[in-house]
Amino acid sequence: MSVADYAAGKRLRIAGIVAVVAALAVATVAMDLQIRKIVTTGFVERSLQAATPIALTAIGGLYAEKSGVFNIGVEGFMIFGAATAATMMWIISGGSPGQGDVWLAILASVLVSLVLAVAFAVLLIRYEADQIVAGLALWFIGLGFGPFMAVLVWDSRNSPSLESINDLTVPVLSEIPVVGPILFDTSPLVMVTAVLAVAAWKFLNDTRYGYWIQAAGENPEALDTAGISVTRVRYAAVIFSGVMAGLGGAVLLAQAGSFTGTGETMVSGRGWIGIVAYLFGNYNPLGAALAALVFGGLDMLQIQLQTAGIDVPNRLVNLFPYAAVVVVLTVWGSTRTPAAVGEPYESEE
Amino acid sequence: MLRASVIERLAIATASTALALLIGVTIVAAAGYDPAQFITSMIEGAIGGQSAIARTLRFSTLFILTGVAVAVAFRAGVFNIGVQGQFVVGGFATIMSIIWTAPLLPEGAVGGVGLLLVGFVSGACAGGAYGALPGALKAYANANVIITTIMLNFIATGVVGWLVQNPFRGEGNTAPNTERIPEYVSLPRIVFDSPGFSIIGLGIALAAVAVIFVVMERSRFGYDMVTSGHQESAATYSGVGAKRTVVLTMTLSGMVAGVAGAVFAIMIQGYYTDPSGIGTYGFDAIAVSLLAANNPLGIVPAGLLFGGLDSAGSHIGIYTDVPVQLIDGVIGLVILFVSVPELFRMAAQRTGLGGENR
Repeated sequence: MSVADYAAGKRLRIAGIVAVVAALAVATVAMDLQIRKIVTTGFVERSLQAATPIALTAIGGLYAEKSGVFNIGVEGFMIFGAATAATMMWIISGGSPGQGDVWLAILASVLVSLVLAVAFAVLLIRYEADQIVAGLALWFIGLGFGPFMAVLVWDSRNSPSLESINDLTVPVLSEIPVVGPILFDTSPLVMVTAVLAVAAWKFLNDTRYGYWIQAAGENPEALDTAGISVTRVRYAAVIFSGVMAGLGGAVLLAQAGSFTGTGETMVSGRGWIGIVAYLFGNYNPLGAALAALVFGGLDMLQIQLQTAGIDVPNRLVNLFPYAAVVVVLTVWGSTRTPAAVGEPYESEE
Repeated sequence: MLRASVIERLAIATASTALALLIGVTIVAAAGYDPAQFITSMIEGAIGGQSAIARTLRFSTLFILTGVAVAVAFRAGVFNIGVQGQFVVGGFATIMSIIWTAPLLPEGAVGGVGLLLVGFVSGACAGGAYGALPGALKAYANANVIITTIMLNFIATGVVGWLVQNPFRGEGNTAPNTERIPEYVSLPRIVFDSPGFSIIGLGIALAAVAVIFVVMERSRFGYDMVTSGHQESAATYSGVGAKRTVVLTMTLSGMVAGVAGAVFAIMIQGYYTDPSGIGTYGFDAIAVSLLAANNPLGIVPAGLLFGGLDSAGSHIGIYTDVPVQLIDGVIGLVILFVSVPELFRMAAQRTGLGGENR
């Protein structure tokens, strides 16, 4: 890619951002929207919460792809994560879960995701499965077995109302105007995600292992020559991505407080949006988390529009993130993927 | 995966399905149901009696059509995950065009055939256009087809769902459905007197298989399509526009998906309803196509197998207490195993069942 191409790419991005801002401004004036009524602290808080599952999944998927494996199965992992968390919460608590059970359920769900992720990684890496097809298959399996578990446990594709996670209020700090309620009176899972995003970014860019992951995706031969097992690095990254997506699903459940297994299940495309979030964030964990925040905000916008008294059909506003993804991919389409993504690597020893 | 020989493909397909069913039966047993009864009701549900066979063929018709739609694109190296969306858009366009044109044509057989033609052409065009969109985005903006088609699936379901609930809901309907198309617009039942299935529908599916087979294997366009899918630089060198080919491939694939939508809408429903509840034919078609190694002719047996699985699934859902979602999971497992031919090659080598001819 020459410098001129790069500049042209940037120009397109800048033009894209300007266009979006301009469109929003025109819409605001034309429709006489009351920004104040829409962008409240509550809205920001809810957007952050909606963004967490997407961000967790995105960070995981990013690691896998950086290491050279396209884990397109994250949507499936999220469904398994959510369904397992729900059933675990039910079983651990014997039917009347409390706050402690929510945390235990998340933990249990992460462990189950770990087992699944190991099996999936073995298929992808050891047995050189077609990554796209195997990932899709995992989605279908999730779509079948998620509701199946719910039916086994509750005789219905949807769980009864379980328990959702309480906000964590930090005394004193939460009383700071605007920032206080957003940062110090919110779901602890938002905090966890923020910490994970920063840690993932630090780890990828500032540690030796982070460089190995990047090398496994860009130039596996070089990594191999340097005496590092490409396979082992890829295993770690793929397993991490599965666990993160499972955690994303569990977090989604912990926020919703019940499992929905009808239609595309409660995950409803968030895994796919997670993939787009890291493409959008150009494979940077912090960028991916910010992109997730944008999608979370879009997701919450409809509720906000309703409370502000603006009548927009629910079903159509729900499609906003998906349409946004198509637009984003069209404008950002030429994101450079790591060079060796999708190719199995066989060491020459 | 495409390099495997026909025999090897058959072996892998059979082994994948058997393994997936075995896991399914194990889960049934582990969940405390009777596995023997599960197997019996699966067989009963797929081929036990005339109505079961008609139901199997009804599903097979749709799987064959959507499977061909997927195969066209996959063969050309384009992952069209958007067949479900193209299927929905095509079916909806079919119903609306028939409803709108009906007052202009005479009632009765002649009008019926005319309206059928209108419906099928609209379905194919709408599906084709909806497929061309991600194709064009890929060709001219380099947008990842896998992701855009998946997003367009969600958008198609949402928008059509909203349309049938609001502006196009039939007058006086409490359910979110469009009006019914006139009685005389239907595919006649000749062999099976079973609701929702006409042998003509199956005929259309087989005709589509034949047409696509000829286009892919015997025509210049098909040759260009497959070459540009697998050797883009060679294709460009010999004068094939890769961008144009992607758009045309996706259009063709979408058109077949649109025809599938039309068959579904006319043969099974007779009106259009919220697409979030109509079944995931476009997704399962990916499995059908893979099982057939993306070969149009192989789609027929693969489609029959999936038709049988789905038919067995609905039988199990009605007559046993085993949750029907299990079948969806089993279909997912079939796809997963099909994606890992290496697994079976290694297994074959270990067990000495002729894994030498790699």
